[in-house]
Amino acid sequence: MFVVISYDISEDKRRTKIHKILKSYGQWMQYSVFECDLTQTQYAKLRSRLSKIIKPNEDNIRFYFLCACCQGKVERIGGDMPRDTTVFFA
Amino acid sequence: MGTVYVTQEDAYIGKVDESLNIKADKKTVLDVPLIKVDGLVIMGRANISPAAISELISRKIPITYLNVNGKYLASIEPDMGKNIFVRNAQWKAAGESAQAVHLTQGFVRGKLKNYRQSLLLAQRRYDLDLNSGITQLSNAIASLEQAKSINSLRGYEGAGSAAYFGCFNQLIRVDNFSFSTRNRRPPTDTVNSLLSLGYSLLRHDIQGALNMVGFDPYLGYLHTERYGRPSLALDLMEEFRPLIVDAVVLAAINRRMLAPKDFITEPVSGAVSLTKEGLHLFLRLYQEKKLSKFKHPVMQKQYTYQESFEIQGRFLAKYLLGEIDKYPPLVMK
Repeated sequence: MFVVISYDISEDKRRTKIHKILKSYGQWMQYSVFECDLTQTQYAKLRSRLSKIIKPNEDNIRFYFLCACCQGKVERIGGDMPRDTTVFFA
Repeated sequence: MGTVYVTQEDAYIGKVDESLNIKADKKTVLDVPLIKVDGLVIMGRANISPAAISELISRKIPITYLNVNGKYLASIEPDMGKNIFVRNAQWKAAGESAQAVHLTQGFVRGKLKNYRQSLLLAQRRYDLDLNSGITQLSNAIASLEQAKSINSLRGYEGAGSAAYFGCFNQLIRVDNFSFSTRNRRPPTDTVNSLLSLGYSLLRHDIQGALNMVGFDPYLGYLHTERYGRPSLALDLMEEFRPLIVDAVVLAAINRRMLAPKDFITEPVSGAVSLTKEGLHLFLRLYQEKKLSKFKHPVMQKQYTYQESFEIQGRFLAKYLLGEIDKYPPLVMK
């Protein structure tokens, strides 16, 4: 499933932690916005990891699910292109 | 899912959270989530942190070491499968058993039929005369049925391959590349260097698939035992060689994606290898081919070549365990 995750975290240290976790699950698109293509299991794991860190009364994280037909309708002007996941070079 | 290729000399591969972080000159050059990775290939020299190794192994992602020319050096793989029954059946069939003969015949038939098919296609597409090669291949395929020993099967395999490589130069449709005979260790011309690199990469993938099914990749039937030679991987590779590697090599050359300027020759040994840009391009083409879909003739469903490695491995296991009475090699029409 394709998830757009946005977060609003008040404290710098916690925000960095959240950012680091999200980087392992998807691609950083904008300040506090990630796009992730996950399986059910991966999503569940990510969600539980995040919920352990945040303080629910100060922070909030939102998960927006895009259905398969909506995924292709994402429009972008400028910014990074989505990562090619067929092969990685370094 | 994709494979990570590290070609940067002296890169450092580490683990950050659940992602693979590759640094060169103290700068991050690549950061990929591990959930997107299904293989790591290190070409040349690179450091890898112990944390990254254990994380990759626990995720059952194999690590392969190749030298800069693409020659296979070693691999770090997750433990062999726990499936002792598969391995037991594999060992019982070792040597000159009826099962080994049948499997060898299957591998060779798959390879030669795919060779013939690619010659037939080329003949139609470019209006060539490849009839003598095709007849020789057809003869070799027909003789396979009667062959009773593995050695005679090896003979037909050799004859068939020779016929195919005899026509290979005509499959190259551009002026600046040519092929005379197959040479290796090291390959001394551009086409051979591409073929060798491609076979190395294919072997990494097949060996991974065999490990996944639970085989011991070092005991083969067509290829005899030799220290450190993954014979079963080489056996299963046969039917895929023309479908994947030869197709990628010919496409890269004929579509003019690679040119002679993409190669460098080592002055003393005459070894030919790709430049960095050429290598990246070739690796990408190989990966694209592996992820392309086709209709599996036995399963009657769409699969990628990558998935078909494991499917053929499963057929192999089923045959050895007596669940099916014939091994069907992957033959493309």
